[in-house]
Amino acid sequence: MSRQNDGFDFHHGLLQRLLDVAYRAINFFVRWDRLPIPLIGAANLGVFRDRLRAHNLHHTGYGINTSGDWSAGKERWRTADGSFNSLGHPRMGMAGSRFGRNFPLPECVPDSGDELLDPSPREISRELLARRTFIPAERLNLLAAAWIQFETHNWFSHGVPEPGNEFKIPLQPGDNWPDSERVDGCMQIRRTLADKTPRETWLGATPTFQNINSHWWDAGQIYGSSQSRQAEIRSGTDGKIAIGRDGMLPPDPKHRGVDLTGFNDNWWVGLSLLHNLFAREHNVLCDALKARYPAWRDEELFQRARLINAALIAKIHTIEWTPGILAHPALEFAMRANWSGVPSHVMRAVLGKDSEAAYGIIGSPTDQHSAPYALTEEFTSVYRLHPLIPDEMNVRRLDTGEQVLCELVNMQGRFTRRFMEDHGFTNLLYSFGTNHPGAIQLYNYPNFLRRFEKDGQPLLDMAAIDIMRDRERGVPRYNRFRELVGKQRVRTFEEITSIPDAADKMRKIYGNVDRVDLLVGLLAEDLPKGFGFSDTAFRIFVLMATRRLKSDRFFTDDYRPEIYTDFGLDWINNNGMKSVLLRHVPQLGPALEGVKNCFMPWNVL
Amino acid sequence: MTFTITIPGIIRLVAVTTPDEVLAVNDASMVQRSLSGRGGLVNRLVAARFAVFRSPDGDIWPAFRDRPDLLRGERQTALEARLSNVEPLLRRIAPEIAELGDYVRDGVAHRSTGVIVQQAVGRLFFADYAASEKSYDAARILQSWLSAWPLHAFWIRRSGALQASLDRIMDLSRGDMACAHATALAVDNIVRSIKLMRRLARHGDNLAKIGPQDALARTLRAPSHVVREVRDEGSAGPVRLRARSLVLLAVESARRQSADPSFAFFAGAWNRCPAHGIVPALLAEVWQAARTDTRGCT
Repeated sequence: MSRQNDGFDFHHGLLQRLLDVAYRAINFFVRWDRLPIPLIGAANLGVFRDRLRAHNLHHTGYGINTSGDWSAGKERWRTADGSFNSLGHPRMGMAGSRFGRNFPLPECVPDSGDELLDPSPREISRELLARRTFIPAERLNLLAAAWIQFETHNWFSHGVPEPGNEFKIPLQPGDNWPDSERVDGCMQIRRTLADKTPRETWLGATPTFQNINSHWWDAGQIYGSSQSRQAEIRSGTDGKIAIGRDGMLPPDPKHRGVDLTGFNDNWWVGLSLLHNLFAREHNVLCDALKARYPAWRDEELFQRARLINAALIAKIHTIEWTPGILAHPALEFAMRANWSGVPSHVMRAVLGKDSEAAYGIIGSPTDQHSAPYALTEEFTSVYRLHPLIPDEMNVRRLDTGEQVLCELVNMQGRFTRRFMEDHGFTNLLYSFGTNHPGAIQLYNYPNFLRRFEKDGQPLLDMAAIDIMRDRERGVPRYNRFRELVGKQRVRTFEEITSIPDAADKMRKIYGNVDRVDLLVGLLAEDLPKGFGFSDTAFRIFVLMATRRLKSDRFFTDDYRPEIYTDFGLDWINNNGMKSVLLRHVPQLGPALEGVKNCFMPWNVL
Repeated sequence: MTFTITIPGIIRLVAVTTPDEVLAVNDASMVQRSLSGRGGLVNRLVAARFAVFRSPDGDIWPAFRDRPDLLRGERQTALEARLSNVEPLLRRIAPEIAELGDYVRDGVAHRSTGVIVQQAVGRLFFADYAASEKSYDAARILQSWLSAWPLHAFWIRRSGALQASLDRIMDLSRGDMACAHATALAVDNIVRSIKLMRRLARHGDNLAKIGPQDALARTLRAPSHVVREVRDEGSAGPVRLRARSLVLLAVESARRQSADPSFAFFAGAWNRCPAHGIVPALLAEVWQAARTDTRGCT
């Protein structure tokens, strides 16, 4: 155990060791996703997760001092900045602390010199990523796409890049990048905000970056990651979030056309829908708590409602969104087991009360495994899911069934609130439920994001930026990434993909299969049956999705009535996305009738 | 010449022996100093050997820092500047040079050659560095740890000798990892050179006939091998490198084929030894001291 992991270590149990050996043998012959019975496949995923817990968590230092805004008594609820979630390591996961790594630090070193820009990210954007025709993900609805951005805004942000020392990407003849945006004939990409905190000497050449949001699954996208932001969004009465007269979130005075909420960067209608929905849920919770605990004041009501709301969002993500996008029987079984354990009394008796496999992670003992909790750069990389976004969508009226084709570019940024007002909360939710997102694959990157105007930024090619972000942050390229998550390296481009002509194009652009960028490999990869994204990316999910729960005191040691109230635990148990939608927008009833998973297409009325 | 061996699951290794190839591989961006241990059982065992060279707070010894590591560059430059002031440093270690001169001339010394060399090297960093048989034993244990057969290595670790040696070296080096590296690992090359000088001096009137620079050229030794790992597949000059191959740069063998005496220090390369000026000067001084008898006559 190296000291840079702050003293944390992973301990294998005997059963884990036996299963590890057994599954190494099994996987030699059969891939996990082809195993016959969901329980066997789910156990295989458990083995992967334990290997990853032992080898794929690496601390990069905290890079921040402990918050001064804390006093005894506050341990009952989540702090605004996420500090003191771990009472023994109060800086762990707090806003401003560094992203961790999923790979040993020497593996996370950016290419130097010209290799960093090789091959040109703009060429990759044009040749491999640009959407030719929209390829829909027909098993999902557009709410699934909005949801994942809603969640990633909870988990991480590197901050808004600032001008200075930009990457200069040479442009090929015939590139239609506007002349007015070129500098010395090149496209410019701003760098990720630098981490200016003192570096520990053991970091070597691995770059570090800070997460300006709290790393915890604390619904920080709604509640903010600082005391001051939290104060801005609160009404100051009965613990509620401030709502306008129209029942919607008020405008952010600093950002035109954008709602005032905890985190509202990259704002668009999809986010506005979900933020409004869960702000309403928060306020309903405050009413319900106040009715049961009339002596509670604003602060107590706010904090308790936040805890419950955050846990409900985590539950929806775990047992609804994830099995929706990764529709595999073993995974559905595993995600439910993550939340509430296996539905077998015999297994529960055999594995014991503290077993997360038997009883679920929720309420089990907190464990950081081999490193202090932090979301990782690799985690942010596998969440580059922009192909989910269509370039246009049908906006449908629930009452008349009329529909109008709208461009996404007109429902984002400063246009968002106007678009919401024009079409209405209910119609837009219905529209998101009945439109498909894009499939997460090559040739399906939304074109409006490849020439994207964002307030305060130069013209952006988000596809090229996605490529550069992985490179500049030292995230290994695709083949090494595969190896480091426990998969075999590929030797040929054809082993990665069967998408027509993709292998040839990749060969032409990259030459060497080891040079394929992570994003390109993930989007090119042939998927396991039912999967919405690649198995390689999924390995990081296997590790990190459960870690967000297992490391968090409020989902483990402190998931108890004294913290949440009995009412709160019941609320979390008895609710899901459907009940939340129907509670706040009962008109959606017919559209949701018979729909088992709200992230799958709803009924078109 | 390049020698490649691949036995799936056991070893993936490339040995490079000619000067041009050594320099090309050393300079290749896909080749790194840190070892992941991937590529086979032997690769893993070798990586485990190197993994111990960290300070108690996890800091990395300088010879194991990767090329893009800014701290490596800064420390290398700083140390190079410190060691470039050759004359005062040689004056500081004049007693040790005299002792080594006696040894080269007469084959006798009051203490072992290794201890004297270790103290001389240590005093380049700290004027009051005091080596002893125990500290040199610690260095020897660390050197043998890197080359021992598996059972012997197991015993070195299991017996606690490895950790005790690391602690002793770090303690004497006061946390200065460049000093730790110099007094534990690099010292071995100087000891070998001194012993070669002694052998050279024993024959006929070599001591009188051969000048210091000539003696230096004949006795200077580089590390026999330097270990690297190929991160991703690629080519370095004519050498094709497969991902996760362990790379053995046969530096001493290449040095013998090279016309350039500074090859032993990778002079001009990104990883040039910061002691590329002081070590040849020290050895030349030792030879000169050996030529000078105790009565001050040449």
